[in-house]
Amino acid sequence: MAVSVAAWSPAGARSNWLRAVWHYLPIAIVLLVWQLAVDLDLVDRAFLPSFGATLRALWEMTVNGEIAVNLLVSIYRALGGLAIGSAVGVAIGLAMATSRRADEFFGPLVATTYSLPKTSLVPLFLLWFGIGDVTNMLAVLLACLLPVIVSTYHGVKAVPAVIVWSARAMGTSHRLILWRILLPSASLSIFTGIRIALGFCFVVTISAEMIAAKTGIGKLIFLYGENGAYAYMFGGLLALVIVAYAADRALLAVMNYALRWHDSIHAAHGDG
Amino acid sequence: MISICVRKLNKRYRASDGDVTALADVDVEVAEGEFVTIVGPSGCGKSTLLYILGGFIGADGGTIEVGGRAVTGPGVDRGVVFQEYALFPWLTVAQNIRYGLEMNGTPRRRCEEIVERLVRTIGLQGFEHRFPRELSGGMKQRVAIARTLAYDPKILLLDEPFGALDAQTREVMQDELLRLWQATRKTVVMVTHDVNEAVYLSERVLVMSQRPGRIVQEFEVAFDRTGEREVTVLNDDFNHLRNEVWLAVRRQAGGRSA
Repeated sequence: MAVSVAAWSPAGARSNWLRAVWHYLPIAIVLLVWQLAVDLDLVDRAFLPSFGATLRALWEMTVNGEIAVNLLVSIYRALGGLAIGSAVGVAIGLAMATSRRADEFFGPLVATTYSLPKTSLVPLFLLWFGIGDVTNMLAVLLACLLPVIVSTYHGVKAVPAVIVWSARAMGTSHRLILWRILLPSASLSIFTGIRIALGFCFVVTISAEMIAAKTGIGKLIFLYGENGAYAYMFGGLLALVIVAYAADRALLAVMNYALRWHDSIHAAHGDG
Repeated sequence: MISICVRKLNKRYRASDGDVTALADVDVEVAEGEFVTIVGPSGCGKSTLLYILGGFIGADGGTIEVGGRAVTGPGVDRGVVFQEYALFPWLTVAQNIRYGLEMNGTPRRRCEEIVERLVRTIGLQGFEHRFPRELSGGMKQRVAIARTLAYDPKILLLDEPFGALDAQTREVMQDELLRLWQATRKTVVMVTHDVNEAVYLSERVLVMSQRPGRIVQEFEVAFDRTGEREVTVLNDDFNHLRNEVWLAVRRQAGGRSA
């Protein structure tokens, strides 16, 4: 195992620190440009609130509880939809990769619905399930389903034959092959699919909430946007961005631990 | 007692330009406790033969019996060591060795004992919790053999087990295998392209022809191998036989000396 020299030498510690700064520098630059553009009156304050004003609005909504209430609802819908979508997606992907009949059944469905914007179905779900969690979560679930199906399918298909053979030679039953061999062997690919789905789940939640919810960050953004209170609209958005970013980092940390056995995990995902 | 009996085995592969006959009327008989090696030019179907014995792929004709019963699929009576080890990369050394025991319902305590003993046997104490990617080729090979020995199969099927190792490590591993076989007297069928290895290790060497593969020649290896490697390898009988086998393989490979 290659132990990075940077991990313990003093020079390495400095370079780690520099790397972190470098990593977040582009974000800092964008925020600075944003703030300056408003301060220098390059854009109309009525149409673009400054970063400072956005932070103040976010603080105000945090203190009065508006953020907490709506954010929790949105997180519940996003991660709930992601969890169910991922579980179903892994099951379908695994079935497709191991059974020709499942492949023939789901294959055309997956291929045709892959590029369908799932949010376009929200009005229909609204009609069927009304305003609320079911409609929102269903949209998220569908959006998460496809990347997970596809990545699971390809991950399982790529499991080397000798791995399965050696498991069979050691007495593994067909059912246990799925759990003990195919899923762990394909886990890098599956995790990658879930990570893509994680990005989708927040996007879709917000979009769906704008149409089909009474609460949630999406609704909050929508209402403030309609009333022209753009600082508050941006504040809500900022809260969501922070949560989505934290969720991605958390998933990445889980992934790095769960896949610590994998050759490529350090090269492909390791930046912490 | 006959352990493995193959009669008139045929195997074809479907290719884009028609069927390719991989094995044609192969007859092999291996006695219980015997160490047999199959050598032949690359692409002659010797690995295919081993995979058919393992039950991983089916034959297109002929009979394959192991322990008097027709082979219909993989079984724990036949332990297999693959070319590239085929260790489970997500399991640690100890978990890899333990895997076959778990699958066969060995009690927990017994598993611990066997794993501990085997880790000691292969000299990997302190590496139990490493993942395969953290091991050298020789270490991986030791784990691959240990995990196969763990559940004590009667027959070992070895597919070029030392092919990926450097020359020195390969010799060490060959000696370990020889000692292991002498101690356990398992039935061993090994596939290799290394003539030296074949003559050094086995009691009988079968030479396969170029595709379609069939057994064309057979050599009994009768000299004493209980001594040190140097004694065996510098022995005239050994060298004479090695040269003969080498020539036989070379003829099959289409060498100009034919």
